[in-house]
Amino acid sequence: MLYVSGEISGDSWGIFAFLCAALWNLPTIPALNSTDEVGAGQSIQKTYDLTRYLEHQLRTLAGTYLNYLGPPFNEPDFNPPRMTRAEMVPSATVDFELWRNLNDNARLAANYRAYTHLLCYLRSMDGQVAKAELRKNLGHFCTSLQGLVVSIASVMSSLGYPLPSPLGSANPTWAQGPGATSTHNDFLKKMDDFWLLKELQTWLWRSAKDFNRLKKKVPPAALMLRLEARGF
Amino acid sequence: MWDNPSLRCLLAIAFLHLLGLIYSQETGFPEAPENLKCITHDLNRMICSWDATSSANLGLTYKICYTNSEPFSPVCIETEGKRADIPVTIGSTNIQITTLNASGTPLATETFVLPEENVSLIPLTPQILNLSADFSTYTLYLKWNDSGSVFQYELDASWQIQILHKETLETVALINYDSKLTGKDSILSWDWTSDIPLECTSYYVKIRCYINEPYFTGRKEWSEWSPIRTVPEKDTKPNSPMVFPQDKVVLVGSNVTFCCLYNEGESIKFMKYGSKSYPLLRLNKWSSAIKVQNVSASISSGTNVWCLLEPDGLEGTVLFVGYAPDTPQNLSCETHTFINITCSWKPGRATELYTQRQTKYILFERISKENVTCEVDELKPEHHCNFSVHANQKIYNFTLGASNPLGQAESSLLIDVTQRVHLETPDKFTVSTNSSTNAHLSWYIPGNFIQIRLLCQIEINNSNSEQQLQSVSMAGAENSNYRAWVDALHPYATYTFRVRCSASEHFWRWSEWSEGKKLTTLEAPPARGPDIWRERSPVGETLTVFWKPLLLSEANGIILSHEVSCYSREIMLKAHEVPVPLNSTEIKLGGNDCLISVVAKNRAGSSPPSRITSMDLPSDNVKTELAIATGNGIYISWPSDPNVTCGYTLKCCISSGSEPCKVDWEMFPSNATDAVIKSALFQPGVRYNFSLYGCKHSGYQLLQNITGYMKELPPKVAPNFTVEETSSDSILVKWEDIPVEDCQGFLKGYILYFAKGEKSSSKTSFTDEENKTEKNITDLTKKSLRILDLQGKTSYRLGLRAYTVGGIGPLKDLYVVTKENSVGLIIAILIPVAVAVVLGVVTSILCYQKREWIKETFYPDIPNPENSKALQFQKNICEGNTALKTLEMNPCTPNCVEVVETQSTVLKIEDTEIISPVADSELPEDGSDPETGSHVVVSYCPPIIEEEISSPPIDEPVGSSQVIYIDIQSMYQPQVNPEEEPEINFVTTAGYKPQMQLPINAMKMESHSPTEEDLDKTVGYRPQANTNVWKLDSPDSPISIQSNNENGSFGSPCSINSRQFLIPPKDYEDSPTHNNTGWSFTNFFQNKPND
Repeated sequence: MLYVSGEISGDSWGIFAFLCAALWNLPTIPALNSTDEVGAGQSIQKTYDLTRYLEHQLRTLAGTYLNYLGPPFNEPDFNPPRMTRAEMVPSATVDFELWRNLNDNARLAANYRAYTHLLCYLRSMDGQVAKAELRKNLGHFCTSLQGLVVSIASVMSSLGYPLPSPLGSANPTWAQGPGATSTHNDFLKKMDDFWLLKELQTWLWRSAKDFNRLKKKVPPAALMLRLEARGF
Repeated sequence: MWDNPSLRCLLAIAFLHLLGLIYSQETGFPEAPENLKCITHDLNRMICSWDATSSANLGLTYKICYTNSEPFSPVCIETEGKRADIPVTIGSTNIQITTLNASGTPLATETFVLPEENVSLIPLTPQILNLSADFSTYTLYLKWNDSGSVFQYELDASWQIQILHKETLETVALINYDSKLTGKDSILSWDWTSDIPLECTSYYVKIRCYINEPYFTGRKEWSEWSPIRTVPEKDTKPNSPMVFPQDKVVLVGSNVTFCCLYNEGESIKFMKYGSKSYPLLRLNKWSSAIKVQNVSASISSGTNVWCLLEPDGLEGTVLFVGYAPDTPQNLSCETHTFINITCSWKPGRATELYTQRQTKYILFERISKENVTCEVDELKPEHHCNFSVHANQKIYNFTLGASNPLGQAESSLLIDVTQRVHLETPDKFTVSTNSSTNAHLSWYIPGNFIQIRLLCQIEINNSNSEQQLQSVSMAGAENSNYRAWVDALHPYATYTFRVRCSASEHFWRWSEWSEGKKLTTLEAPPARGPDIWRERSPVGETLTVFWKPLLLSEANGIILSHEVSCYSREIMLKAHEVPVPLNSTEIKLGGNDCLISVVAKNRAGSSPPSRITSMDLPSDNVKTELAIATGNGIYISWPSDPNVTCGYTLKCCISSGSEPCKVDWEMFPSNATDAVIKSALFQPGVRYNFSLYGCKHSGYQLLQNITGYMKELPPKVAPNFTVEETSSDSILVKWEDIPVEDCQGFLKGYILYFAKGEKSSSKTSFTDEENKTEKNITDLTKKSLRILDLQGKTSYRLGLRAYTVGGIGPLKDLYVVTKENSVGLIIAILIPVAVAVVLGVVTSILCYQKREWIKETFYPDIPNPENSKALQFQKNICEGNTALKTLEMNPCTPNCVEVVETQSTVLKIEDTEIISPVADSELPEDGSDPETGSHVVVSYCPPIIEEEISSPPIDEPVGSSQVIYIDIQSMYQPQVNPEEEPEINFVTTAGYKPQMQLPINAMKMESHSPTEEDLDKTVGYRPQANTNVWKLDSPDSPISIQSNNENGSFGSPCSINSRQFLIPPKDYEDSPTHNNTGWSFTNFFQNKPND
């Protein structure tokens, strides 16, 4: 609880602080203790803030990365059709009503699974980048995204939801992990990277909405701390 | 068979014989065979075919009998078809074909003579054994059997391979391929590389053959084309849309063709390379291509090539364009520790290829045949790779191979590892000491150097930034500390040590310097006693002992105190310690002389004593000499004194600022006679006094005093001087000495300037004044000077400056007036007075005696105008005026006439009228009566001009009178004789004058029209061109001139030459009378006769 008051905005130390907070919270909050809403409120707020920060960070990263991929990926009106092969990346294009009708647990679990896989792809992407500066930025973003995964896990635990189990082979292609894309040619890999960034953007946007909605459901017990965390 | 020469000859003769015998026997039966044709595939047997009408007779058979030549008996065969396989014979073949019916009855017989020329050699149709493709290199591989076993001997064969593509089977390539048939079947192979990826479209390949048998005289023809083979074998649509080539790496400048494969029902919207669209080339119904020429290096992630499909699809590939690796440059291998050999190189030109396509380096050692894959960082300008040192191997032959998908390069280097030792930077460097001159050093070098010796360099820097290098050689050891010590250090000095090492025997490179370590050595007793001097008080009771502080290098530590002792005959009378920082002390002698000893002390001990005797020898007649300034020091010389045995001491007392002077001295050996004294305290223009003492056996003796400057400057001030005495022709000047501190040098003299000059006049320096006189006074004892030969009652300016070798000082000046010469003045007054009196007396006497004659002449009772001298004088003037060419003069007429007698026509001048410009300007503008106006009577002789009327016209009425116009030259104008240069006078005195003013103001008219008054109000300058203000009868017009006669220009200035009026004279025509005019035209007077 004490770690969120630092100057986090634009600073990896802030991310590190979030990570520490999340890790600290994880063992201390009983997984099934759904009554600990004070802890849940704080976790949701932190996760929401982290999501917004990641949105900001991704905007910078995506600009640089798409330039690295070259045309047509860096063209503003580039909007390729989503091909079946690109389903290696979990899609966020779920019907709005369908998504809204899901319960909190299902939505959180979908978030958790999506970010876990997106993180895996992001890491595999990292090793193929020729530019050192871009590699560093990607690594930085991976760390931040790892923090978000842990934060979501923390929220789920504080609300008493079990963590989702890994998907089996009967699940979507993207659940099989980045190894399934190894036969892709370079252009398709670039396409995957493009979709990965796009999906990340959509997921983060959706997550921010989800966590905003979720934090309204819990009592505002952690209002003070939330205000501190606004330092983002 | 064909190789046998005799057989060939026989065949040739038979062939010629048979040529004439070819004929066919026409039997006239329809079943008779005709059109016999024979071909051979192998030159061994030939297939002959013929035409024959079968009609309704089925079951016809043919009997073929052939003979090569006589005397061979014919060989007969029977066949049902119209072809037969018969052996190829040399020369010609007689073939008899008999048509038999079903019962075997001959129906018709035909005989052919077939020469070899009519036999065609057509090889067997070749068959493609295998057609394969390497898609990565766009290469087709073709294999076929040459069927060489058909021929029994070697033959030259040619093959033609045709490659086609697209649906329209366009020929891509038609290639000829030659081979040699060896009598045995051989598999021939051939490959072909496409410039389009093989995936883009199917390729069709066929082949045919031609046998070149030189001795076969028949026709040689190409074989049939082989059956077409296709690659890829199935020319069908692809499984999914794709762009080819996939992820290819090409050289910069290549031409690359890309194709986009798509499904049926789809079409390509566009295809781009990077961001540029290229025209599409249709390959087939499911493939289109673009050609990109001269590709440039791709971006780091590769250049994207993509096609957008309709209705919905996007496919792409990435092309990596770069360079083959450059030869590794500056390959250098060395060992730091004898554990690894580190090779370094520069990669040369960037390949522009990254990640898995970047250059891979392999370091191969030929002797041990080991290789190492090098991990390099592409971003660093220099790459490194480590290779393990092998025991018992000194020579290493390295080859560094660089490769990427576009090529490879390598560099080699042979080294002896013991000669390529570049040690690591010495670590754990420590410095210690336990003495005042030595230091112990210790450092650690990682690595195993047992087999070599090390050479280490120790850098010693002292606090004065003096640098010293010491080298030390030592045996190498394994991961060991190395020690060294340095000596000859200064006591109590701070040093900074660093160390670096290399191999001793075969120097390659120094290691980096270790970190610097500081060390201060211990103190030692001062190296020598201080320099001392003593001065006796004037009374002689006390002696002040001075010493100079020791240099840091001599003190060997911190000087704590000085011990001053007084010895008399080796017995110490007194001793006391003077603490630092005092550098002098007083000793009371009590009337006795003693030997003074001074010892400097620090923590480590005392210095050797410095001794000096207190005894002063008397000196007589001590002179003061002048030293020479050298600019940066003072040159002092003295005569050699043989009695001086223990050197000279030159003492001075230099004061800096307000502090009391500081005693300083310098010692010289006995043989020295001169020295240049330098000191940082010396300042230019300051006088320094020195005392030279000679050290003699029994004491010190003052030999001479010396005074001098480091640099002489001009005097700072001017000498004060006054005028002591003044007469009418001389001045006595006295001056004072300049104070020594203001001299700034040795005074060489004075310069006295004098010149006439008033005090009120602007002061200029004497150097600028031309009439100055200067006197150089070099006799410095002279303090006054008398300046002679001056003028009386005249103001003089005097100036005095002093000068030294350094220059001339400032000037001081004053003014003095010489007295008047009274005798001369008296004489000058008395003589003219006396002369005047004498003349007056003589004149009075003469006048008295001639008083009657004077009365008759000048004051008669009845004056006679004809005898008037004054009038005579005026006549001359008038005569002079008649000389004017441009103006005809009228006879002078008095303006006032007094009638004395009615019969007499003599006129009398009553008055003269003078109008000065001043008076004129005071005239009222309405031209009031001039008689009551401002007429000025000039008392001194005005140039009255009169012309006597010699013969006045009788017919004129009495009332009319002629008037003399008189003009008086203005007082403000230069007097010019009008008789001499009247024209010039006119011109030169004219200048600009308001032209209208003259006639208007000067006119005296009784009847003055209002029009004229209006005109008067416009007095002022009227430009002549402004003809509007002029009257029509302006004198400018010739008519005007005629009508007004020559004198019609009264009052108007006119050009002397043109005689045209400058101002129209209209006012005057109407005037009944005219008075004299104008102030403006001196000596220009006109009169106008009354009408």
